[in-house]
Amino acid sequence: MAPSATCADLRPALPMIETLRDCTHAVFATMVGTTLEARTPLGGDALRPRCNVVGTIGFGGSRSGLVVFYATVEAARHITQTLLALETAADPSQAEVADAIGEITNMIAGSFRTRMATDGDLWAISIPTVTMGSDFYITPLTDGRRTLLPFRMQDHELFVELVITTRTSRT
Amino acid sequence: MRFLVVDDSSTMRRIIINTLHKLGHQDVVEAANGREGIDRVTEGPVDLIITDWNMPEMNGIEFIRSLRAMNGQQQVPVLMVTTNAAKDDIVEALRAGVNNYVVKPFTPDTIREKIDAVMAR
Repeated sequence: MAPSATCADLRPALPMIETLRDCTHAVFATMVGTTLEARTPLGGDALRPRCNVVGTIGFGGSRSGLVVFYATVEAARHITQTLLALETAADPSQAEVADAIGEITNMIAGSFRTRMATDGDLWAISIPTVTMGSDFYITPLTDGRRTLLPFRMQDHELFVELVITTRTSRT
Repeated sequence: MRFLVVDDSSTMRRIIINTLHKLGHQDVVEAANGREGIDRVTEGPVDLIITDWNMPEMNGIEFIRSLRAMNGQQQVPVLMVTTNAAKDDIVEALRAGVNNYVVKPFTPDTIREKIDAVMAR
């Protein structure tokens, strides 16, 4: 995975990116009991995290776009076990993993929406959609700006992506 | 003391129920949306309701409005647990009949404090 944009490309969206990163840290610290290690944000369309569990929430209002959460199956299982207070040996079901990742995505996007509202950006957000599988990637049908926030959770790599739509309607 | 937890996310229901158990509250019933929540209330009395906002079929605001219109349910304490925490959201929830508000993400201490606050009313 190679970055296709320079740091300068991120500047216009930097306050939003920092807010989204803060929200992600808060959700994991409070609900998962884990301190995430944040890596340098990456901008551009060529970024494709190799993850098997993807939570997506759309938002619309004064701005529109997507918040996308990416985890490997192993990371998603770890998150699910922690949220549900399962024993480490207990293997959560696929339905439990999907619901847990949907809720994590919902909390990240919901906190982000609330924080942006205090700055005057009023949005509605969609219900979460969770995709699980292999050899797939998410391509929003928009000409929006994409920024990927990489995180490290113990031995696992996680990503949160912000897609901001730059065109308000499609024809 | 009987609690009713209403949330479409089984994960969030489990988190809240685990938190209630840790706080010493073992008698908990659950529902996956507002309509099921009304069914649970109709089946037997509950002492405190913890509900989500965004749910299919009947959302949390519609659930509370329906609840408050039922005989004997005007005073049952209701906590709303949601990510909807903009000022306008909170005003709408309070107008619908919510007694207190917990914003996700939350700690067990926050749940305990809010339960204590609504029960002290």
